[in-house]
This record gives sequence, structure tokens and C-alpha cells, in this order.
Amino acid sequence: MDNASHLGVVLDLSPKQWHLAAQPSNPHPITLVASLSHLLAFLNAHIACKDENSLALFGALPGKSVMLYSSTMPVNEEEIQPADANTYRPFKVMDSTIMKHIVSEVEALGEPEVEEPIGFVGALTKAMCYINRVTNGSTSSTSRNDDLATLPDPRILVISVSPDQSSSYIPVMNLIFSAQKLKVTIDVCKIFGGESVFLQQAAHLTGGSYIDIDRPDAILQYLMMSFLPPPGLRQLISVPTQDKIDFRAACFCHKNIVDIGFVCSVCLSIFCQPVPVCSTCRTKFPIKTLQRLNASRPNAAPGSAGTPARSSTPARTATPAISANSLPRSTSINPAAVPRVVSNGSAPATSSPMQNGEPR
Amino acid sequence: MPPRRTNDDYMGGQSDSDVSMLDEDELTSRVKAKGKGKATEGRKGDKGKSKVKEQPYAWEASYTRTWETVQEDEAGSLHTAVRDLIAKGRRRRLLAPAEAVRRTIIRHLILVLDLSSSMMDRDMRPTRFDLMLQYAREFIAEWFDQNPLGQIGIVGMRGGIGERIGEMSGNPQDVLRSIAERHKLEPVGEPSLQNAIEMARSSMSHLPTNSSREITIIFGSLTTCDPGNIHDTLDECVKDKIRISLVALAAEMKICRELCVKTGGQFGVALNEGHFKDLLFELIPPPAQRALTRANGPGAANPAADLIMMGFPTRLPVTSQPSLCVCHGELKSEGFLCPRCLAKVCDVPTDCDICGLMIVSSPHLARSYHHLFPVKPYTPITNLDDATSLSATCYGCSVPFQEKVLQPNVPLVDGISPLGRYRCPECEHDFCTECDVFIHDVLHCCPGCGK
Ligand SMILES: [Zn+2]
Ligand SMILES: [Zn+2]
Ligand SMILES: [Zn+2]
Ligand SMILES: [Zn+2]
Ligand SMILES: [Zn+2]
Ligand SMILES: [Zn+2]
Repeated sequence: MDNASHLGVVLDLSPKQWHLAAQPSNPHPITLVASLSHLLAFLNAHIACKDENSLALFGALPGKSVMLYSSTMPVNEEEIQPADANTYRPFKVMDSTIMKHIVSEVEALGEPEVEEPIGFVGALTKAMCYINRVTNGSTSSTSRNDDLATLPDPRILVISVSPDQSSSYIPVMNLIFSAQKLKVTIDVCKIFGGESVFLQQAAHLTGGSYIDIDRPDAILQYLMMSFLPPPGLRQLISVPTQDKIDFRAACFCHKNIVDIGFVCSVCLSIFCQPVPVCSTCRTKFPIKTLQRLNASRPNAAPGSAGTPARSSTPARTATPAISANSLPRSTSINPAAVPRVVSNGSAPATSSPMQNGEPR
Repeated sequence: MPPRRTNDDYMGGQSDSDVSMLDEDELTSRVKAKGKGKATEGRKGDKGKSKVKEQPYAWEASYTRTWETVQEDEAGSLHTAVRDLIAKGRRRRLLAPAEAVRRTIIRHLILVLDLSSSMMDRDMRPTRFDLMLQYAREFIAEWFDQNPLGQIGIVGMRGGIGERIGEMSGNPQDVLRSIAERHKLEPVGEPSLQNAIEMARSSMSHLPTNSSREITIIFGSLTTCDPGNIHDTLDECVKDKIRISLVALAAEMKICRELCVKTGGQFGVALNEGHFKDLLFELIPPPAQRALTRANGPGAANPAADLIMMGFPTRLPVTSQPSLCVCHGELKSEGFLCPRCLAKVCDVPTDCDICGLMIVSSPHLARSYHHLFPVKPYTPITNLDDATSLSATCYGCSVPFQEKVLQPNVPLVDGISPLGRYRCPECEHDFCTECDVFIHDVLHCCPGCGK
């Protein structure tokens, strides 16, 4: 390894998902504590590979995201337990800092009835901000950045145990494009929680690898063999590649993940069913198109087509009702119904569909 | 409206200016490095307009140029200058409309390149022709980045005829390949605007109504040699709703301006190399459709708008079983599966050959979403009066904030926090200058709000 490399780790710390992952009913149960010890061994290995290697660890917690550790963090000497003869001191310092932060953050969560959505997007954006800052931000206020000013090969490793939050579709896509711009590789290590469509796309589009782990109890082996070599070395080492990549998207109206969608030609918003008015740009669509699309819809059962089973605002249930109707009735309904849709969409700016899944 | 020169101002582009070119390049690269072109500022408002007017022509530029633009402060550092550049970028963002704007996203563009002998002029370095080719390549790459569902075709003007150089294609590699070989495009003869526009118009005549049709012309001559009345061609373009934009390299011609004004396009005369690039790159972002909405009243049906059914495919890996693709009938492993009929196609975006569904990969669509949901501008924090609730580190990169004003003697610049602290109006977290710029220009996602 000739060049130093920067590794940003985004660690999913959802208590609920880790609890589920540790259930003895799983084929290979794994606890958070066990996987953390694997992860720390991996992080130590990364630091040990080269003196200049740097590291930043971000935790995604319910409703928030925190930086748990970074190589540029000031070390609080007093809080580190006395050195023991069997550990290399920098490892000891790093391990105890990380563990201390995780424990304090998880304890601060308390025991809420319902877990808030995980702050995954926040943690990933912070990892990107950090990379941006250390790669090209050597400002007057922070002189210690200087030795990191030329960081080659930045990459982010996402350790995920939660399923996709479909509300994070747009931010994750924006993150992928900025990662491409900064030449950041995103690797994904999926321990638990099913396939993640968005993370698959993230790894594929940034040239990283997405690995769905079969034996979570042996996670260290996967981490060492697949994610330790920096991207520059990946051509030489055959890192497992993805099997199929799912290019599905989430609809803007219900955040369902869809494989066939209806797309507004003006703003490219995606809807899971034909809508008369685009909720993003408020373009009205010709009634003929709606009729044609409704007729050609796959599995267009008249009863089930209209009302989605998921929770939805009144305006949303109204929308499919209009579009599912035949022309004579819908023309009489339209004048009344359309303003309702519009006002609903415009009240909290245009982002009303986004706010459902937003953390806190 | 971009700055322009009138014919009276035209002094002849023959004078040589080797020396000034160096300054010019250095200046543009320096300004570009901060991500805020000085000349790009010129677009907004009267202030900008007057600034560009002060800027001398390429051949008038002198050694002193860089020092006029980037000034040292008393301490001899460039800090103030850099700060001003950032401030300009911030103000531009504040001026931008906060809510989502309708933009035409499925665009069709014919790029018309002037390949007449006047393009061998050396008033732009190395020649107008070489510079045009270089910028055209950069333009195409950036255009596809921002208009992933768009298509570009290329038409050349030389020897009095319009010449089809590149067919309309949605693949940037195909388009770039068509203008890759310089010797095939060697400038010769007179240009003909009418022939070129007619050719561009005919290659877009089959397009559906829900896509935009545009012609962008790079024009370096002062004459056009047309077989008929060009005003008839102009009327046809207006009727077909084709937008014509033109970047002139020599001087303004009445017909050029008229073409742009009547079709709703943009017209500009390049003053120097950097300005040429700015004029061209202004045409890249998807055009906003606000004018149209206002004319018809809000919510009025837009005849060009439509709802399109699209399928999002599954990509097969190279390791999968080889099978025949439906588009070429070739045996291959990789490909995309149509979600409706499971036919295998080689490349997306495309229409499924079996069921006709339009197949796009979702990242193609998602590239434009930051236009729809921009991050709100952050408010600069100018004093630390309510010090109780202040965080010690930047919420994005966790670098500590400075506690006091760095250079107290520097006058306050509008839109700039002397503390390097900017607050998101929604999540109320504080960010440093680097993160503020990065979040708004690249990331398009606030770490605190998570959207
Ligand atoms: Zn939906
Ligand atoms: Zn729309
Ligand atoms: Zn094929
Ligand atoms: Zn099909
Ligand atoms: Zn920051
Ligand atoms: Zn925010």
C-alpha cells in the first residue's frame, strides 16, 4: 500500500435492529457488543496498515447522528485507563474513545416507546463533509489539517442493519452523486435487515462493493478480506462484486419502492399511480394521458388500484379516486378536487411528501 | 440578459495579445478554483452588468489585470479576496428562487458549430476553432451530467451548407466521439445560418411534444450565406417552439439577436475566453419554465407536460447466464431486465423492444432532483450574543469553530459571517464556511435535516 488512505465508517446503531439481529431464532445471531469487537479489530488493522492512514467513525442513532471518533480528534489523556502491557497504546486510546462514546450515546437514548427513524442520512452526509474538509479545506483556524491536506483514496464503509427508509431516497441519491464528484468509494457491509436497494445503488455507482453477509458471526473475516484494501488495490485483489443490482426507485407520494412508476415529464417526480396533478411542480397532466395510463396499468384491478393500504393524507386518497374514475365523473369532481391537492402540496413549501419520514 | 457589444464597439479582432492571455488564464483558473466564476456573477442585476462592461476585451487586457481582481489586504494575504468570492456565491444563492421551479428536463439539443474560415482567427487562444472544440466537449460532458435524459445532435456550418456531424444521441460518449477528430472538422468556406437551422429543425421534427427542442449556435463569422429568406426559417422555428440560443465570437449581428429573442433563447457576444465559456455554460441548466406559468396563470395546463410511464430495471451482473438480448439479438451476460416483460436489453435509457415501456435507471432521474428540493440558504451568524446555545464544533465536519472574530478590522461583508458560522434555518445547527459551500454546491442535503 503506497498511499495513505482515509476511511470513513458509518455505523448503524439502531437498538431495535440490533436487538432483532441478536435473537437466538436467527440462524446466526450476533450482538452489538460482539460485532463492535470485530469492528474495532478491523479499524485497528486499518490504522496499522500505514502510519498516515486516517479514520473517522460516525454513528447513526434513532433521530440523530454523531461523530464517534476521528483521527484528528483531540485525545483526552486523563480519561484513558492506564496502559496495559499487552496493547499498543494508540489502539487502546482509539478503542476506549469509541466505546465510551457509543455507550454514552446509547444510554442517552433512554427507552422511548417507538424508535425514531435512524439518522442514517445525517451520518453519511457528515462523513462526506468530513472528507470534503480534510481533502481540500486547510483553513487558517485548523493547522493540524495540513498533514492530511492531500488525502488520496477516500472511502466510506457503511455498516448497516436497518432496512431502507424510503423517505431517504432523494438525499441518498444526492449523496451518491456528490460521492462520485469527490471520487469517494462507498462500500456497504449489510449485516442484518434485508436487501437495501439504495445502498446497492450507492456501492454500484461509486465503484464500491456491497456485501450481504451470510455469517454475521464471522464479520471480521468479511471486513478484513473485502474492505481493508483501499480502492487503489482493488484491481489486484478480487473483492466480491454485487450480484444483481436493483435500480428501483421510491415514489414521491407514498415512499413505496416501485419498479414501474409514473414520471412527471417536467420535473421527473416519480408516482406509483397516475395522478392528475404533479405534487412537486404542480403541473396538470392531460386527462387523456390519465385515461390511457389507467387503462394500461399492470394489475389495474378497479377496486384495489385506487386506495393504497398505507397511511396517507386525505388529499392522497382523493387523488387516486379521481384518476380511477371515468371521464364523465372525474370532470365534475376535478374543479373541486384539484385545488385541494394543490393547497395541500403548497402549504409546507413543496416538500410536504418528504416530511413524513424526516427524523424528529 | 448577457452583456453585449454593439457593432460600433467593434474594433477588429486582429490585434495580438500573447501576454495578456497568460493573465487571463491564470485569472480564470484561480477564480474557477473557488467555484465561483467572477464573470458568472455578471448575469444577475444591473450591478453585474456594469462590472462586465468594465472588463476590457481580451486584446486590451494588460499585466495588471490579476491584481485588479484579486487584491491583497493590508496584511498581504489574499484572505479578503477569497472571502469576497465566497460572499458573492452566497448572495447569488440567496437571490435564487427558494421554491421548486419547473424545469424542462427531457431536453433535445442540436449544437451548431461554426466551421467557416473565420474560425481560424487567433483573437482567442489558440484559435477560435480549437477553443470552440475544447469548450464544446466540456459543454457536452457537463450538459449530460445535468440533463441525464436529454439528447444532443451536432451540426456543422461550412462551405455554405449545413453538415450533420453527430446524430441525435443520449449517450455522451457517442456525441463526444463525433467531434473527437479535429482534422475532420477543419474550418473552410462561408457559414450558412439558414441551412444549418433548417437541418437542425428537420432532425427534431419527429420529437414528441413533451420534450423541449433547442438549438445552440456557436457563431464566429460576421456574415451568413443563405439560399432563401432566413426570416421564413425563423418563423418556422417559432411555430415549432424551437428555442435558439447563440454565442457570437466576433460581434453582434441583428439577425442573430432576432433569432434568439423571437424564439425565447439567449444571445451573447463573448468578450474573451472566460466569458465565452460562461456564456456557453449558462445554457446548461435546464431552463426554468416560470415565464410560461405566469402567462397562463398558476396551475394552468401546460401543453408540453405529460405523465410518462417508466420502468426501473434490474441490472444483471457479468457473471450471470448468457442469453440473447432483444435489441441486437446477441448472446451476452450483462444487461438490464425490463420490469414488465422481463426482456433483456443492453443499455438504458431505452424503450423496451418487446412491450414498449420506457426503461430508465432511477439514478438517471435522480440526478436532477436537487433542482427540485434545494437546501435552504443558511443564515450567517454575526455575533455571539446568545452564547448559551452555541455548539463548539461544526455540525457537518466536527471541526471546532473559532471563538472570536478572526480579523476584527475587516469591514463586515453582507452575507458573510465574521465567525465562519452559518445556521440552517430548519434544523438550527451551525456549520462552518467550508461545509456551507459544500452542502449547497455539491451535497444538496443538510446533515441536520437529513434531506
Ligand atoms: Zn406512491
Ligand atoms: Zn412535476
Ligand atoms: Zn442488445
Ligand atoms: Zn418490456
Ligand atoms: Zn464544517
Ligand atoms: Zn438543516
